Amino acid sequence: MMSRATRWALAGAGTVGVVGVGRLVARRRRRHQPERQDGWYVVRRGITVDRPRDAVIGFWTDRERLDRALAEWATLERIDGDRWRCVAADPAGGGTAWQAEITVEGPGLLRWTVVDGPVRQEGRVELVDAPQDRGTEIRAELRYRSGPVRRAFGLVGGDEPDLALRDTLRRVKSLVECGQIIDTRRDPSGRSERQERATDKVREKLTTGGRA
Amino acid sequence: MRALCWEGVGKLAVRDVPEPRVRAAGDIIVKVRASSVCGSDLHLINGYLPAMREGDVMGHEFMGEVVETGPGVQRLRVGDRVVVGSVVACGGCWYCRTEQFSLCDNSNPQPVLTEKLWGHSPAGILGYSHAAGGYAGSHAEYIRVPFGDVGAFPVPDGVPDDAAVFASDAMPTGWMAADFCGLKGGEVVAVWGAGAVGQMAARSAQILGAERVIVIDRLPERLATAAARLGVETIDYARTDVLEALREMTAGRGPDACIEAVGMESHDVGPTYAYDRLKQSARLQSDRPTSVRQAIMACRKGGTVSIVGVYAGLVDKFPLGAAMNKALVLRMGQMHAQRYIPMLLDRLAAGEIDPGYLATHPLPLDQGVRGYELFEKKRDGCLRTVLHPVG
Repeated sequence: MMSRATRWALAGAGTVGVVGVGRLVARRRRRHQPERQDGWYVVRRGITVDRPRDAVIGFWTDRERLDRALAEWATLERIDGDRWRCVAADPAGGGTAWQAEITVEGPGLLRWTVVDGPVRQEGRVELVDAPQDRGTEIRAELRYRSGPVRRAFGLVGGDEPDLALRDTLRRVKSLVECGQIIDTRRDPSGRSERQERATDKVREKLTTGGRA
Repeated sequence: MRALCWEGVGKLAVRDVPEPRVRAAGDIIVKVRASSVCGSDLHLINGYLPAMREGDVMGHEFMGEVVETGPGVQRLRVGDRVVVGSVVACGGCWYCRTEQFSLCDNSNPQPVLTEKLWGHSPAGILGYSHAAGGYAGSHAEYIRVPFGDVGAFPVPDGVPDDAAVFASDAMPTGWMAADFCGLKGGEVVAVWGAGAVGQMAARSAQILGAERVIVIDRLPERLATAAARLGVETIDYARTDVLEALREMTAGRGPDACIEAVGMESHDVGPTYAYDRLKQSARLQSDRPTSVRQAIMACRKGGTVSIVGVYAGLVDKFPLGAAMNKALVLRMGQMHAQRYIPMLLDRLAAGEIDPGYLATHPLPLDQGVRGYELFEKKRDGCLRTVLHPVG
């Protein structure tokens, strides 16, 4: 039988441990929360594309290539001069769509506002020359409104705008650099249909939010 | 078609699987003629590299015949006999442009796990788990090769299939190991591991100017083969104190360069090894770094340690102090297949390197399970099993 002192000591050590772990987890979570500004969540993500700035701009102004690139997941339609309407399937799936207005504000700078979609958001993209002949930095800033409850559910559902932004940047990079987005889903395997569906879920987890 | 699939830790089976199809403009479909087992497959089979899924097709070191090309393929024709690098490279990113193909930015569609593990995601690798992109492997009748123009190279006439197959992985890995050593001529190079990669590294070091090459292993038949085929000196670590032996063989200096061609399931004798093995099986460390430790301890002051054995995660008791205080150069990496394969095929055709002898056990694909068993247990003098899906 343990003495009373030992039990107290163990309980004390346990409490200190739990509180300590809790604080660590909280700090870690806070560090991973997006920055907040005037009620918006703000995330900034960048990716480096190994092409000069003009080539990256050229990719987005070459209508034919852009349509081919977007074919799977979005349509783009010109409203007037510098404004475009983009209708896209929600990258997280689930059959929902979002509609955005894109405004070109100058060479290498554009903004977009989602006018109809699961999450209110707006953003800007800026193209900057990368140092050392490394091509172009695509720097994106995304602002979205999302209450804590919604955010919690959003995280569970995997449709966090930040993850979608990272995915989109990676797709853009891949399309500009090698003309395709590689896909290995449903490559030959000895899996049953049930195992294949489970593997699809794993693949999605391993794909979503990657940064290359 | 028939394919050798992973069925769970330590379990393989030959299964009927659907045939691959061209999915992107740059894809080619290769009818596999020879597909070798590789030491790194053992890490996948035994569950040390994460993210295998039941039903995954194994195999990444292969050659075969092009039977279909996507509309964007320009360099290759149907009917070409080609060898394909194991690492997938897009050819269009900065890493590919600077010939660091195994670091390609765009060829791993599933980068999240490796980004968490390693900070960034390197290139995808065919048949090498979902951490490396989830590609189907080459132990099958057919395989889809993305970016065919970048990754597949026509094999010169007269080079047999069972030699050409090693230009896919073992030869470029061995060559890169020797290339890392920055040899200028006259050096002493020690190579840990007398498997296919170790022997290719030894041969490459000779070609690149090493005066003496010393190969270390515990399997007498592998050491005998290396000595007979390549004219290298050998050390049997099960019978000899390697550090003492290397010190004596170099009159106290230590080898100028040490190549580690063993990887995370390294063997040794003695209590430290037993301890490492226990920790690894309990998953308290992911890798057993026995031979890397030895290489660092053995290397001369200011020398180079070149690591091409595969490591996945964390190691214990890494002698960083020895490396730091002896001012060693540590170089390592997955091989940049596409950089080396054309040059290696030329050397193959010229007879300068002949890896054909490594294929000790050619077997039909249906005997793939036995092939891996022979290889893993090193039975019957097996250096490499090479599977032949057709005929």
